[in-house]
Amino acid sequence: MAVLELPQWTALAPALVFVATALALFVIDSINPHTRNRSLLAGTTAVGALAALGVTVWFMLAGVGTPTAEGGLGVVELFGGQFVVDQMTLFFTTVVSIVTALVAVASYDYMADHTYQSEYYSLIMLAATGMAAMAAANSLVTVFIALELASLPSYALVAILKDNRGSVEAGLKYFLIGALSSAIFLYGISLVYGATGHLQLEAIADNLDGADAYGGLLGLGILMLIGGFAYKTASVPFHFWAPEAYEGAPAPISAFLSSASKAAGFVIAFRVFTTAFPVEATTAVIGIDWTTAFVVLAIVTMTLGNFAAATQDNVKRMLAYSSIGHAGYALIGLAGLSADGGELVMGAAMMHLFVYGFMNTGAFLFVALAEYWGVGRTFEDYNGLARQAPVACAALGIFMFSLAGIPPLGGFWSKYILFTETIGAAGTNGAMLVVAAALVVNSALSLYYYSRLVKAVWIEDPIGERDALAQPIGLYAAIVVAAVLTVVALPAFGPIADAAQQAAAVAIG
Amino acid sequence: MDVPIEYFVLLSMALFSIGLFGILTRRNALLFLMSVEIMVNAANVNLIAFAFYHGNLTGQVFALFAMALAAAEVAIGLGIVLVLYRNFRDVDVTVPTTMRW
Repeated sequence: MAVLELPQWTALAPALVFVATALALFVIDSINPHTRNRSLLAGTTAVGALAALGVTVWFMLAGVGTPTAEGGLGVVELFGGQFVVDQMTLFFTTVVSIVTALVAVASYDYMADHTYQSEYYSLIMLAATGMAAMAAANSLVTVFIALELASLPSYALVAILKDNRGSVEAGLKYFLIGALSSAIFLYGISLVYGATGHLQLEAIADNLDGADAYGGLLGLGILMLIGGFAYKTASVPFHFWAPEAYEGAPAPISAFLSSASKAAGFVIAFRVFTTAFPVEATTAVIGIDWTTAFVVLAIVTMTLGNFAAATQDNVKRMLAYSSIGHAGYALIGLAGLSADGGELVMGAAMMHLFVYGFMNTGAFLFVALAEYWGVGRTFEDYNGLARQAPVACAALGIFMFSLAGIPPLGGFWSKYILFTETIGAAGTNGAMLVVAAALVVNSALSLYYYSRLVKAVWIEDPIGERDALAQPIGLYAAIVVAAVLTVVALPAFGPIADAAQQAAAVAIG
Repeated sequence: MDVPIEYFVLLSMALFSIGLFGILTRRNALLFLMSVEIMVNAANVNLIAFAFYHGNLTGQVFALFAMALAAAEVAIGLGIVLVLYRNFRDVDVTVPTTMRW
């Protein structure tokens, strides 16, 4: 294959395409400051994201990152192991680039009246660069820098409607909690460095046994790292920014943060904990099995997210809490690592994040459409929308039932596999049985509030008379594509599942 | 090393706790930013002391990166504080409550 002849650094091409697109947007802005040419700007962004997607898929098909034993071109390590491009990298880069493209297309209409167009799109691209870099980061240095590169534009994006009090308040809360958690994360890194003397993930793992004297420091460091991951993935204990930030932010940005940013947070958590802190070796040093922390966090996160979502009247807030609940499901991937078959559980969690990327983006984009129409924010305000916009509401039905896990949609299969793998892991780790039970109970509860929204749009009568609803082409296109992807995820589920399981096995192996 | 490594860790933990205390008690967004900065610098003290202790430069170099990132973070933070002031006529972080918890 031609890939073999390319220099090693081209393995980072998806992230490079993102950053090149961001720079191209800056160039457009510097040639024509205050340009309001939305087609050009949103088009460039979408093309850039799709190009990154194309490169990623090409790499996957060509076998970049697949171990040579399986007929691939081998895992690519760059800059002395600071970055690594393997199947997990490419898997999550796919999620990030698809979500970015959808958000860019949807923003074409949603941000139509915004003054600072090119800034908005270049910030999206820079955040996407950070997320793609997070997927490849293989050292605590690059993890932290990529995390900040994803976070800093996100703060600005949440607060970008600067005359809107909700947006500014959301940006403030997102920023304050983000700054706090990144300081805690950095301190955790410094403690891990102190205990092992290294920041590169494999080197940390190799030097764990030398850290016996510093077991306490290392344990505290790992705990603080968990804090940083919890923030990025919107899990307990750093979840409370999520409802505020998602509610106040422009809806396409909420979609971006709750899908792409969450997936990127999970990829660094998966990578750091599988590569740098192998369960047995770490347990021998710090005396506690760190998967216990994730068992507790997974159960608390999914329960809190789902119960809080069930009590909401505001649709966007409901989706925000449901996003916390789904973070809890994905955390199971880390909770099961100490058991036999832990890589299967992690693979299932990755699958869930993949499917979740589409259905959740779609759900938030429907909220974006509703905000574009100006119908209001509560469930009652959504009543009877299906009579005026059947296509978008049919898509909403797909997203909601998929999020709830109704067969035969994609969300059902990822949850089902997650459940069976969790049960499978329960043989060697009894706590997984409790996790599996919590997963079932929470999924059943989630059906209540998801179907409530479907009932509102399809069955209830509108409260008052509405004017005819516009059909913004960008938002509609993004929603329909997200719906199609959610449905197509069904026949494509075999390959997705294989890719996720292989990626997880390689990452752990 | 003349000064034992434990003293550096104690110093950085003290700094970290001071910063955390500031975040938990202050309501002024600017003081909040300063407290975060103290926490970041606590981590930098650790990184540099441990780099000396372990005899490799990784920690020192990373401390430079951390400082640059902290500066970038503050730049974004000040921007957000600025729009906060324009919208709410205050930099008290407890004032914006248009969304309930």
